[in-house]
Amino acid sequence: MNVALSRSFRKDAVTLTEHPFIPFDNEDDSLLFEKLQEHVLAHYPNPERKGCPDPAVLRSLIDNPGDVTLAALNDLHIFKCAECTRLLLKLRQKKKQREAAE
Amino acid sequence: MRLPTPADLCWNVKCSPDQEWIERTLRIAVENVWPQALEAAHSRNGHGSHVVEIVESAIEHAVCRLKTGDPLGPEQVTQLLQRLVLQEVRRRRRANGRMVFVGSSEELPPTPVRNPQIQIDCVLDLEIILQGEPRDVRLALLLRYSRFRWSEIAAALGTTEAAVRLRCKRAIERIREKQEGEQHES
Repeated sequence: MNVALSRSFRKDAVTLTEHPFIPFDNEDDSLLFEKLQEHVLAHYPNPERKGCPDPAVLRSLIDNPGDVTLAALNDLHIFKCAECTRLLLKLRQKKKQREAAE
Repeated sequence: MRLPTPADLCWNVKCSPDQEWIERTLRIAVENVWPQALEAAHSRNGHGSHVVEIVESAIEHAVCRLKTGDPLGPEQVTQLLQRLVLQEVRRRRRANGRMVFVGSSEELPPTPVRNPQIQIDCVLDLEIILQGEPRDVRLALLLRYSRFRWSEIAAALGTTEAAVRLRCKRAIERIREKQEGEQHES
């Protein structure tokens, strides 16, 4: 089984940095977005939290995505903020854990 | 800058015994000309670091001229040396073209390249890539970025998975192209 194929079976277990040669084209674009997250985390540090939406808005985005507007998120700010990306991933993971526990 | 002695600057003046007056008058002329030479080098080249070379060069030219002419007094030699110093300053300035180096590179203000914020703007910028995309596409991509599945995004936006993916297809293709380009560059 080649690495790219095994990657699709163990999506959460293998990091992209271990296999940078894995092609982007997977069925649901998850590899592309993972790569984008890595990129933002590496290149857009924002320790002063400039322009960040309120953490409550990010929590709302995760819990009720249909209720959040782009304006509340400061448009595409998250795409240029490592801190917001980190918080979003954390909130998303917590939600998954909650759902799994239920 | 410490004032060199005339002997320091006239080190290469070699004259026959009958032309000893050249060395003697040149020493006086160098003492007279030195402050002006320093000032001229500063104002024309931006620094006075080459003033010794400039004066030495002027002395060399002055010796050549004085050897072929009648004996001159210190005042006349001073005038000649003054003129030659200014010529040398101009010559050096022309040789450097329009470039004037003032101070060292350490004194320069930080360049944009050194500014990390500018460097960040040069890397993959989703804000720019997604400029002009409709709001629903941008929100959908933000949600996908937040690790929502396409089906969940479709539910949040009140549409079907196929529709939302179709809406985002063009933007995703652009991101892929840009990202692959970045990878090739790195």
